[in-house]
Amino acid sequence: MKTSIQVFGACLLVLTISLATPKWRVQAAPPLVSKASAIQVLMIQSDEIKLPVEFQISLYEHLIQQLEKKGGFQHVYRDGDKNAAGVADLVVLHSTVRGFKKGSEMARQVTTVTGKTSIDVHCQFTDKDGKSVLESDLNGKVMFFGGNLRATFDFAKKAAKLAHDNFVAKSGS
Amino acid sequence: MRWPSWKVSIGFRLLLFSALAVPSLAQQAADRVNVVHVVGLRGVKENAKGTLTVENGNLRFVDSKAKAVVATTAIEDVVTGNDSQRMIHGSVGTLTMFAPYGGGRFLSLFRSKLDTLTILYRDSDGGLYGAIFTMAVGKAEPLKKLLVVQGAHTSTPLQDSSSGSTPKTDAAREQKP
Repeated sequence: MKTSIQVFGACLLVLTISLATPKWRVQAAPPLVSKASAIQVLMIQSDEIKLPVEFQISLYEHLIQQLEKKGGFQHVYRDGDKNAAGVADLVVLHSTVRGFKKGSEMARQVTTVTGKTSIDVHCQFTDKDGKSVLESDLNGKVMFFGGNLRATFDFAKKAAKLAHDNFVAKSGS
Repeated sequence: MRWPSWKVSIGFRLLLFSALAVPSLAQQAADRVNVVHVVGLRGVKENAKGTLTVENGNLRFVDSKAKAVVATTAIEDVVTGNDSQRMIHGSVGTLTMFAPYGGGRFLSLFRSKLDTLTILYRDSDGGLYGAIFTMAVGKAEPLKKLLVVQGAHTSTPLQDSSSGSTPKTDAAREQKP
């Protein structure tokens, strides 16, 4: 009888911990830097690294696509869009390529373990006045399936998530 | 036997007309290019197959579902490049990866070359767009020339078609014995 009570108690403890864990995770999430109703994406810069123009364009376009897909911002403005000037709580995303390794799709498909394409990008979010509010280094890579440009899609998903987590007000908060 | 003068005149006119018509037909064939839209055109899906034409100061992409028009004067940069893709690509190509005895890997060795055309353009609000197209080898450079002739800008110099894919400088030509 005593043993069954101990087993029941242990089960209850495990159940309590498993239920409590997601709550801790939510509490551990980074605090919102500042809310922004709109974001402007500037063209990807690659002054130090020689990046093929199709990668530069693909990074930029996928970034805008993912930000629009992720939602949360009322507007996603492009580089040079005059309408962004009138938005008070605008956040501007500056992206600079810090590293690039062009792999080979053929090598990936033939060997599986070689031919990885990788792009390292430094992302800086600034407010309308140019003051930096958040900086982060992100990486995009393609290791198995897909063409080399898929690395830009991988980066865009991560950057959109970063922007969403830090600048979009969660409903109910 | 002598030909009547009116017959000779008609014959000459026909010859002249056909001589003038041939270049214009060739021009039309060069203008319409089958392409794959990789990314960037507003309202057009990724990997949409269609045709690209340059006429009346516009770059026009048309596929079965969508149409996009960009004024050539709004194009800030045109860049050509090259790439390659698997001979068997798309969903079928992905499925071949599961072929037994490394058959899919073997098929990956067979690749076809591609030309890429990348354009940067602005909309009426000043927003910057970039679009990438892939097409058959040798099609991108003539398209770029047409765009530049009709008002597009480019950061890279046009290649001389007579010198082939690797243009030689005048100095290099002069050094030849």
